Amino acid sequence: MKTKHIQHLYFRAGFGLDYTTLEQLRKQSKTTIISNLFEASRNVEPLEIDLSGFESYFNSGFKKPETEEDKAKQKELQKSSREKTVEFNALWIDRLTSSDAILAEKMTLFWANVFVCRDNAIYHMQRYNNMLRRFALGNFGEFVKAMAREASMSKYLNNRQNVKASPNENFARELMELFTLGVGNYSEADIKAAARAFTGWSFKRDGTFHLRKKQHDFGEKTFFGQTGIFNGDDIIDIILQQKQCARFICDKIYRYFVNPEPDAQHIEALTNQFYKNYDIKALMFYLFNSDWFYDQKNIGSKIKSPIELLIGIQKTVPITFQKKKQLLYLQKVMGQVLLYPPNVAGWKGDKNWIDSNTLMLRLKLPAILLNNAVINVDEKGTLEDDFEAYYASKNNKQRFIKTTIHWAVFEKEYINVSQQDLKNTLIIAKIDPDTDALLSRLKFEDQKNYCIQLMSIPEYQLC
Amino acid sequence: MKRRDFLKQSSLASSLFFVPSFISAFQKVNSTTLSHKKLVVIQLAGGNDGLNTIVPFTNDIYYQNRPEISLQNQDLIKATSDLGFHKNLGPLKQLYDKGYLTVINNVGYPNPNRSHFRSTDIWQTASASNEFLSSGWLGRYLDEYVKKPYGGIEIDDSLSLILKGETLNGIATKNPAILNRNMQTAYFKKVLNTQSDAHLSEHNLGYLYQTMIEAQSSAKYIFETSKTYKSKQDYPNNPFAKQLKTTAEFINSNLSSSVYYVAMGGFDTHAGQINRQSKLLDMYASSIETFVKDLEANDTFKDTLILTFSEFGRRLKQNAGQGTDHGAANNVFLIGKNLKTPGFYNESPNLVDLDSNGDLKYTVDFRSIYATILNSWLAVNDETILNKSFNKLSFI
Repeated sequence: MKTKHIQHLYFRAGFGLDYTTLEQLRKQSKTTIISNLFEASRNVEPLEIDLSGFESYFNSGFKKPETEEDKAKQKELQKSSREKTVEFNALWIDRLTSSDAILAEKMTLFWANVFVCRDNAIYHMQRYNNMLRRFALGNFGEFVKAMAREASMSKYLNNRQNVKASPNENFARELMELFTLGVGNYSEADIKAAARAFTGWSFKRDGTFHLRKKQHDFGEKTFFGQTGIFNGDDIIDIILQQKQCARFICDKIYRYFVNPEPDAQHIEALTNQFYKNYDIKALMFYLFNSDWFYDQKNIGSKIKSPIELLIGIQKTVPITFQKKKQLLYLQKVMGQVLLYPPNVAGWKGDKNWIDSNTLMLRLKLPAILLNNAVINVDEKGTLEDDFEAYYASKNNKQRFIKTTIHWAVFEKEYINVSQQDLKNTLIIAKIDPDTDALLSRLKFEDQKNYCIQLMSIPEYQLC
Repeated sequence: MKRRDFLKQSSLASSLFFVPSFISAFQKVNSTTLSHKKLVVIQLAGGNDGLNTIVPFTNDIYYQNRPEISLQNQDLIKATSDLGFHKNLGPLKQLYDKGYLTVINNVGYPNPNRSHFRSTDIWQTASASNEFLSSGWLGRYLDEYVKKPYGGIEIDDSLSLILKGETLNGIATKNPAILNRNMQTAYFKKVLNTQSDAHLSEHNLGYLYQTMIEAQSSAKYIFETSKTYKSKQDYPNNPFAKQLKTTAEFINSNLSSSVYYVAMGGFDTHAGQINRQSKLLDMYASSIETFVKDLEANDTFKDTLILTFSEFGRRLKQNAGQGTDHGAANNVFLIGKNLKTPGFYNESPNLVDLDSNGDLKYTVDFRSIYATILNSWLAVNDETILNKSFNKLSFI
């Protein structure tokens, strides 16, 4: 396997490779490399933070807080939940940076932007996140059925309010429009029927699924031309029968893992593979074994998401953030905060990551993280903030991101590596000849500086 | 002084010597293609309570639903036989008296969404409530007609959806000096100054270089131009006023940017609304007053239209915390010198016929307002930008 191809595989299936690992892999066959990639993701640890403080609340019966004391307690829990969400966000980034099950983690990140969900109750959201992780390389049909049963999703798309007497169509609509078929591939009547099939799907306080039989519509429904006493699972099964469902997902897979510019022929090849049994692992195996995956036009064609950029830097030079809030702040100003998607359609990605403001920030990010460069971008207040809080962060502050930089790790890895090899390790896109000429003219006092400079050229924004 | 003459005299010209031709082409943009009309869009972020802003003071239903937070005669400035301004909106009432204000009641859209984020997206992208667009209406205006990032400016440090186009984006800055400093680092300069035109066609890489070049040039242009005018007005001391002051400096320095976006935060008044909203409306009105004065002093008010909206209004019925919860339809303000229909554009809110949540129903689609502004003010094809035809109104 060509070195560039190994790198390409690992940039897409993960977040790139370090020099030593790349050297080792170069000696192996394509078959070995790919099967080891999957082998490493066979078992995935759930991602968990300490939520014991919430146990008593989520394991008691539902009751509306009546007394002032109860209300105060609930407020306290909500605040704590928000703080824990920030902690979970940091832990997730840490996991993405350090996990060996890199393919499973990358897939989890991908699915989080397909089955998009947002919930301030971390007790439920942690469950949701691990459900994504559990099915990331599993069976797609089972995946959709599990997702539809999650408390966070039920809240996010109002399935909780979906009752026989007055069906709420929100979940049914997004299930088809954004999760499985794509806009225009179903009728309004299909949505109405599906909504009825999901009535009464709810959850217990601890987040486990619960069917409220009294609220479920046990009547006959007609969906995609089939008639029966369908429940939610039946609806999902009928959706899976539509080849369009496989095509819709494969289109997303192609744009995310191969090239943001779709190629109808290759997407159709993926679709035929996926439609056989909706086995995600088999689909990815097929993809990474396809010759066209390694075509020159696909290599370095993707604009890194802010998370891919952040993690790429940290994989080369490990960084500890002294304040979790600052890690969140960086995600905010770059336009991608994990666990906080903008809406149910998720992040659009590719060119949408880039505008004048975010690009300048992204180009400066290596210097901000590794060279103590100042960052003076104020984050936006949120819409629920009061006036003071909204503007609190808007004071033209000169910020330093407080990090502990583990240069020793970098030096151990790259001290004896030539500048040319360092460049080839960090950058997969073809470097613009003028920029390349400039790089070779500049004098760098040491490997550290050269690394920061390499990370600061536009080509580093691509993978 | 014409922009082009100004450019020749500015320090930009001296550096032209070192930059490749595509950058100099960018810097010699022909300003005559841009409309000289300006649009300033202000979002009262969080959902301003319209019913306590423009008060239906003869309506018993209003008082019945808001026993603790309704506004009485002494809290109002009456404008018509049934509508009055919140007493802290004195400056706005003065604009109304001069014929510089149009209030459009009951503005909204079908199937209103009550999430701040989603409804903000709907207003900013001009989408229907069940479609998810990734570009804003002002962004698409830049795409189609302006074709330059500095054509639209958000007074903040990061760009909102409203100014993101399909092919290009506006730029965000609340301090052009800082923005310029951030974009003119020695290293970026080196990278850009060694660029020849040849390699910019590369798919995504070309896009990155192009964005970088335009960002730098835009930052420099905004900084160099805006510093030629410093406001002499005494603005109130609050961050929203500061955003407006910056906007005035952009407009009065004859920056060719035509659309501006400012968000003022704090309107999510679920509790203790009376005091909180009073303060906010006072800040809003006094800042607007100074802003209009600033424009008038420079004869730019006649070419500026100010649109104020909120992502939604609030529920008619107050809640238990002396506040109000998320609602639907709301009033929209238009401020300008050339209004066709000054005063109240349409009927007062109907408090009898509410939707199933107990919220006001809309009678004017917000996209009709956008279509009118695009068509009659910015003089462009509104359908191209809104992807659909909406009824035009006659306020401008």
